[in-house]
Amino acid sequence: MDGYIIATVIKAILVLAVISALAGFGTYLERKVLAFMQRRLGPMHVGPYGLLQLVADGIKLFTKEDFIPNNANRLIFMIAPVITAATAFIALAAVPMLPEFELFGITVRPIVSDLNIGILFVLGMMAAGLYGPLLAGVAQHNKWGLLGAARTAVQFLSYEVVTGLSILAPIMIVGSLSLIDFNNYQAGGIGEWLIWKQPLAFILFLIAGFAETNRTPFDLLEHEAEVVSGYATEYSGMRWGMFFIGEYANMITIGFLASLVFFGGFNDWGFIPGGLAILLKVSFFFFLMLWVRASWPHIRPDQLMWLCWKVLMPLAVINVTVTGFVMMF
Amino acid sequence: MSLEQFKDRNVGTQNYTMLDLGESPKTGWGKFKQVAKRSVKLELFTGLKVTFREMIKALFMGEMHTTKYPFEKLPIAPRYRAIHEMKRLLESGHYRCIGCGLCEKICIADCIRMDTRYDENQRKEVSEYTINFGRCIFCGYCAEVCPELAIVHGGRYENASEQRASFALFEDMLTPLDQLTQQKEYPGFGAVSPDADKKIKKTPLAY
Amino acid sequence: METFAFYLFSILIIGLFAVTVLSRNVLYAMTSLAAGMVLISGLFFLLGADFLGVVQLIVYVGAVMALYAFAMMFFDATSVIKEKNSSATTVFLLGGLSAVLLVVIFAAPSIGGNLQPLYPSPDGASNPQAVGLVLFTKYLVPFEVAAVMLLVAMIAGIILAGKKMEHRITSSEEENSGEKEMK
Repeated sequence: MDGYIIATVIKAILVLAVISALAGFGTYLERKVLAFMQRRLGPMHVGPYGLLQLVADGIKLFTKEDFIPNNANRLIFMIAPVITAATAFIALAAVPMLPEFELFGITVRPIVSDLNIGILFVLGMMAAGLYGPLLAGVAQHNKWGLLGAARTAVQFLSYEVVTGLSILAPIMIVGSLSLIDFNNYQAGGIGEWLIWKQPLAFILFLIAGFAETNRTPFDLLEHEAEVVSGYATEYSGMRWGMFFIGEYANMITIGFLASLVFFGGFNDWGFIPGGLAILLKVSFFFFLMLWVRASWPHIRPDQLMWLCWKVLMPLAVINVTVTGFVMMF
Repeated sequence: MSLEQFKDRNVGTQNYTMLDLGESPKTGWGKFKQVAKRSVKLELFTGLKVTFREMIKALFMGEMHTTKYPFEKLPIAPRYRAIHEMKRLLESGHYRCIGCGLCEKICIADCIRMDTRYDENQRKEVSEYTINFGRCIFCGYCAEVCPELAIVHGGRYENASEQRASFALFEDMLTPLDQLTQQKEYPGFGAVSPDADKKIKKTPLAY
Repeated sequence: METFAFYLFSILIIGLFAVTVLSRNVLYAMTSLAAGMVLISGLFFLLGADFLGVVQLIVYVGAVMALYAFAMMFFDATSVIKEKNSSATTVFLLGGLSAVLLVVIFAAPSIGGNLQPLYPSPDGASNPQAVGLVLFTKYLVPFEVAAVMLLVAMIAGIILAGKKMEHRITSSEEENSGEKEMK
């Protein structure tokens, strides 16, 4: 029992440290990839190829004035970014990152807490993450912030429906909510991947995932051209940084979910060992998010709602129904 | 090339081709069909393809656009009007300025000040010459009016300074004596244009 | 360990809900209500009812509370609200009575000591399966009735919201009048 607690604490700290570092590194990657796609160089001057840009940004964010505007609700204003970052990391607790491996003779399972309803927990935690932007926008006494918060509520609430419904069909096929069961179901190689059985569900999940992580083409919460910076208008320094660490951690989570549920998870992939395979898949999804950001313009809020309620949700319901019928007969 | 197309200021009617986008659907069923067709046609992926192609070009085919500015500089156009240069006569090394004062007279920003006196040979020499670059608007009139091509606009455009009014002295703008051989006849603003001979017209003597 | 966690969660939940009731600021009330809901899901997790815990998280925290929050955006959330109490005694008596009644109703069976699970979950059934078994056998009728009620509410909501949809706010006046004539 004691060993279990210690192991869990160590795993939690490791996940926190590694993912927050990766989230910071993600900003560097995003700037680089976007730059290459526009035939620019991106950050180049801090360290070799700008690799230490992350450190420079960190120093800047930490030393910046922690500004709280007049008339804002101080307590809520200060808590809001913590909610975003915390829920993003808590969601990662139920995600199995790598296959089991042996370290100093102990079998390590790289998942902080193996819940048997893992996937629902991740989605629920990401759903709770909407309180970060929402409270931030309401507490800051700023019209742009309020607009951003309204958009947060609308967008996240709507697209949660699509995420849940789209992932329901794979859940029905596997018959379990545990992400490890999902992984084991697809152990038979590429032919067993759930993407072949549920291509529509994958597309819906990916689109909804973009919306839930607030990425272009659905980055309406803080779109500069319309609502200055949305919920983050009044934020500066590390509090602002926490929003973005949360966003990038969510991107990584969506990457893990997509590769675990639809793309065979951490099973060996031909000659590539499982651990490397899942990292490759997650990197691909991360890259896809940046790629899409470089390519596509974002859409209007009414188009966003139209897409969710008139296109994606009916498709998801039809997909679930058809899957049910096929499984029954 | 004639000047016709530059003189035609009726912007917005010429040189535009209308794309044939077809009829936009009116009925609900038509709209539905359009959405379905566009979703299945995968037109969205064209955009992804374009950005990926650009990335490959930039990374592996050396088509990166960035100039690392403080370390590399792009050549500027010869007619660019940056910080002034004072030219010397190539033969004697004496400065070309004859102290006529035309540049001071024409300067609309009122930033040129000069003072002249007679030297021992009863020639005019420039005793003081300053340009207030805090006020100069780089209009180029001084260079245009100079009869001796003594003051021209150079290519030094990095003129940020700590003080609002940074004066420039005559000696600072003058070509240094040891670099006289490298002094180039400036083709830029204020210089005689290549087709100057053709442009010369007879002065009508009627007035 | 579990006892400690239980008391920690309980104290936090009660404290947060007390803030909800006592605070005069809408924003504080809403935030503490949402936080309390999250902690209630913690209690479910302690009991081993993982599925219900996550459902609590998704439905109450993610959806219901967020809708409250969305509605709250139409008020000035940072201002302090003056409550209008005509009679403090009546409010105290009524509120206190209903609270005592609720406590008695829920506490009586457990004090009586004859608590027995009507539908013990079958062996080997995982959490969601156990919930599903009860929901689709014993409680099928209430479940369906609730579903129909939600459907009715949804249709009513769509009709209420869509009443004036033939006028577009963004299009120009002439277009609007033209559409009217067509109708």
